[in-house]
Amino acid sequence: MTTTKQKTTKRLVSVLAAALALFAFTERAEAQQILLTGPLAGAPAVRKLRQHRKARFEVAPAVSFTLLDEYQRTIFAGARLNYHFTDWLALGAWGAFGAAHIPTHLSDQIQEVNAARRATPGTSRDEELTAGNLGPDFKKQLASMDWVVAPQLTAVPFRGKLALFQSIYLDTDLYFFGGAAFVGLNERKNCENCTNSFEMASRVAIAPTFGLGFSFYINKWSAIGFEYRGMPFAWNTGGFDTAGGGKDKKFPDNKITNDDRQFNFNQVLTVSWNVYLPFQYKVSE
Amino acid sequence: MKSSPIGLLVAVALGIFPAQSWAQAKAGKVTVAGKAAATKDSEGVIDADASGSATAGGDAAGEAAPAAGDTPADGGEETGDTPAGSGLDDICKIDPAACPNLDMDKEAARPLKEQIFAVQQAYALRVRRFELQAGWSQSLNDQFVGHPAPNLALNYYITNVLAIGVNGQYYAPFNLDKDFNAQVRRAARVAVPLTEYQWGAALNFTYVPAYGKFAGFGDFIFHYDAYVVGGVGAMSVRPIAVIDPDNRNFEYQTKLAFNAGIGLRIFFNKWFAAVLEVRDYVFNDKLESLTASKIPGPGPNGAGNPNTWYGETSLTNNVQAQLGAAIFIPFSFDYRLPK
Repeated sequence: MTTTKQKTTKRLVSVLAAALALFAFTERAEAQQILLTGPLAGAPAVRKLRQHRKARFEVAPAVSFTLLDEYQRTIFAGARLNYHFTDWLALGAWGAFGAAHIPTHLSDQIQEVNAARRATPGTSRDEELTAGNLGPDFKKQLASMDWVVAPQLTAVPFRGKLALFQSIYLDTDLYFFGGAAFVGLNERKNCENCTNSFEMASRVAIAPTFGLGFSFYINKWSAIGFEYRGMPFAWNTGGFDTAGGGKDKKFPDNKITNDDRQFNFNQVLTVSWNVYLPFQYKVSE
Repeated sequence: MKSSPIGLLVAVALGIFPAQSWAQAKAGKVTVAGKAAATKDSEGVIDADASGSATAGGDAAGEAAPAAGDTPADGGEETGDTPAGSGLDDICKIDPAACPNLDMDKEAARPLKEQIFAVQQAYALRVRRFELQAGWSQSLNDQFVGHPAPNLALNYYITNVLAIGVNGQYYAPFNLDKDFNAQVRRAARVAVPLTEYQWGAALNFTYVPAYGKFAGFGDFIFHYDAYVVGGVGAMSVRPIAVIDPDNRNFEYQTKLAFNAGIGLRIFFNKWFAAVLEVRDYVFNDKLESLTASKIPGPGPNGAGNPNTWYGETSLTNNVQAQLGAAIFIPFSFDYRLPK
């Protein structure tokens, strides 16, 4: 009797399990049946994909140029280092130093006007009004980005190829990255009575950084890269007293303070030569 | 019982041969003639697959069919039940003058000058199609005045890689004099001459040297192409009065403008694409004079005389980044070359 009951229970459990399994997988099984009818059913979008990044280090010497600068352009020399865990995900950093600082036309104009005013001291009302903002050499009070270190995560969702003039064929990819940028700045030092105080001070600004880039693979182990990066943060690019007083602190207060730092969406264009190690890439199934 | 395996085999054989195969046996005759005609195109490109085998794909047969009646077969493999050459005999009976008199051995020995492109059927053909672009652009190089604008462009592709077209932007209500200008004027007592734009229009040539495809997330594939564009046109511009705004009221003036740029087009289907373009519009800008006349009134040297308002001219670059969409018309097209 006990044995019969046990058998009945086992059968009941088996039937219930089978029924549950049928209910659980019915829709999926039907969908798969449709997919299986095609010759490419279940096949990946790309077969034999050359995985230029997977399990490789990337060392990319790079030159970067700032965009839309108000007073001074910066040319960075540096490199990007990445380790690619998969073909689509990497962890690394971009580091660079300000190799050249080039004043804009506006800075040249201000410098010229300021020099003319100072050549005849005491004769210009403008000289008096700008005494706290324009030092003897305007270009020396301009803020500069001296170095940048930006640890970042890179995702490579798009991978493809490019035909150029029907004769040159390149593998290419489009990637996005994001991280934090530590920017070494040199800008005008805060001061209370600033008429004769145009000293500079260094600080580190921490900002989000993000952007996108293209890689064009020229052989098994190297690529040419083009990248756009944003690094928004506030800094006092001209060394001027523009805020801190009046309503909403939007008027000058005759002091150089943190309020004088204006928010800038700093933009950088980068050209790089990417070298991948080891030199041989993997190929997907 | 013994006959059942034979019956099963017949059933399997019937299942293996798709219905299209039976249709192609008839179409094979058409394919021979049609392909021979269709693959000799105006560019002198001769398809290597002109033999017209019975396994030709449906597309190729479809393309060849309209041309079948026009051109006699000059070679290739005959398939089907009708005796070869019966079509030619009919033509010769009706019009002996039109009867082809070809030495088949000589024709067969003639070099074909085969040319096969690396990509025979690009995803979206552009030739003989109109492209209508609409988008929004933003200035990339003017830190003093923003020049966002809606854009429209119409291109006609003369070949698959070359187009002629027109484009235009409307800037007038969107010029943005940035706070930075006022801050500089206040802090340094230095004024920067500013310019605002009203509209721009140009006649352009577009060349498409590059195309490719991307696999997105290893799952789906989309196609793109890259183009260079250049042209000549006009821009309507005027200075924003900052040196002597009490007396100066500038009118828009039309300037000759040249442009050059590059663009990227990402196709969502064969007639709809997203467009990202960077283009530099170069024109000779007449800036506001940095000095204001102290003589009141509209006299020869008076502050009210427009001749005293303008200063130096400057070659100005208006670099615009545009994001938009493109629609190709007609929506569909036929491939000329086989896969």
